[in-house]
Amino acid sequence: MKTISAWLLWLWVSLVIVGAFYYAPLAEGFQGGSSRILFFHVPMAWASFAGFIAAAVWSVRYLMTRDLRHDRSAYVAVQLGLVFGVLATITGAIWARIEWGAYWNWDPRQTSILISLLFYGAYLALRGAVEDPEKRARLSAAYAILGLVVTPFLYWIMPRLTFSLHPEPVVNAEGKPKMQSEILQVLMASGIGFTALFFWLHNLQTRIQALAERKSAAREQGYGS
Amino acid sequence: MLQVTSTSAAETALPLRFTWLSEVVAVFVKDWRCEFRTRYALNTLALFAFTTMVVVSISLGPIGIDRARGTKVLPVLLWVILLFSVAAGLPRAFVQEEESQTATALRLSATPSALFCGKLLYCLTLVGALELLVTPVFVTLMNLEVVSPALLAGTLAAGGYGLAVGSTLVAAIIAQARTKGTLFSVLAFPVLLPLLLLVVELTFNAVAGGGGGVALSQLLLYDASVTVAGLMLFPVVWNP
Repeated sequence: MKTISAWLLWLWVSLVIVGAFYYAPLAEGFQGGSSRILFFHVPMAWASFAGFIAAAVWSVRYLMTRDLRHDRSAYVAVQLGLVFGVLATITGAIWARIEWGAYWNWDPRQTSILISLLFYGAYLALRGAVEDPEKRARLSAAYAILGLVVTPFLYWIMPRLTFSLHPEPVVNAEGKPKMQSEILQVLMASGIGFTALFFWLHNLQTRIQALAERKSAAREQGYGS
Repeated sequence: MLQVTSTSAAETALPLRFTWLSEVVAVFVKDWRCEFRTRYALNTLALFAFTTMVVVSISLGPIGIDRARGTKVLPVLLWVILLFSVAAGLPRAFVQEEESQTATALRLSATPSALFCGKLLYCLTLVGALELLVTPVFVTLMNLEVVSPALLAGTLAAGGYGLAVGSTLVAAIIAQARTKGTLFSVLAFPVLLPLLLLVVELTFNAVAGGGGGVALSQLLLYDASVTVAGLMLFPVVWNP
């Protein structure tokens, strides 16, 4: 079953890549083929965002049950959220170079994603500084939840402070997507693909993490070399 | 029979509330008494703020910078001075409890919410004293003309409260970790960054003329959210 779903995910993401280059038309008003980055950049940012929300949800579940498996899930979600966040930042910077002429412009969205990344980098620093697993889980869960309370302010404050050149979000203030239907179809398919990819990676990484923890615990007890 | 139980419940409910308040006051008084024994936080905050202010004043004083550029730059510098002074002195509130191994006794004798409020009150008075000391000197030394003093006072009050409440929670977290000193800055700055963006904007408005607008309500909402988050998360952070 797991193999089949992994192959299905592979097929789905391959179809998205093909669709992004051969099915969806170019959006108007962009340099060359640069608008195609939309199909990868936006879902990456979305997956990163989903990772951070998932981390906070798992942190709440940890605090309610005190089951260390939830803490591990939250930790892996932050790791993956950071990976997707860095990828979204890099793809965004490449696109900005083509479209705006410079890799980094302190655009509100660039600033807010950078600060979110800083926050979750700090989360990892905190985990590194506490040895006892229970205490580490407790403190980092509290910090992850605090992150979800504080970071939305950035997305609210930043656009007011500086003028943004960033294209309209997929769903704008009127709540309607303004896109050609083919572009929207590929974007939505890509979003689903990236979300599935996130949870597939999350599953793999949590299992690897659990094995690593068991291995070090066994080593402490004197088994193995 | 029923009446008797209800009156006894009322009798116990009243002293309970008094106990919570008296716990808050006791923690607050204890912290200040400890502070006056060593004057560690007071000295650190005051000397750090004073040294940085002297550096800023020497290089950017009234002769060093023209008025138009001063109104842009000086609000940022004021808050940088306040932020770093806070980062130098406030973590002490919880780190000291762990270092002198009094944390366990404190866990036994005070409820977490009362302890959080007591510590918050202590940090609040420290930040308030710091602002009262720094702001007038900064304004005079830099020859800064404040168009709207009321807005500046409001910003300092709401911003100082936000600094205190965010730092109190982060200080409680880092006190239990290994690398306490550096970790506070790493953890606190992303939390305080939205606040700093807002207070710098508001201070600029107070200096250059311009209302509080949306920024003021955003600042108050930030304060309220972090307070609620602090009250909810502190028992988890504090109790093993």
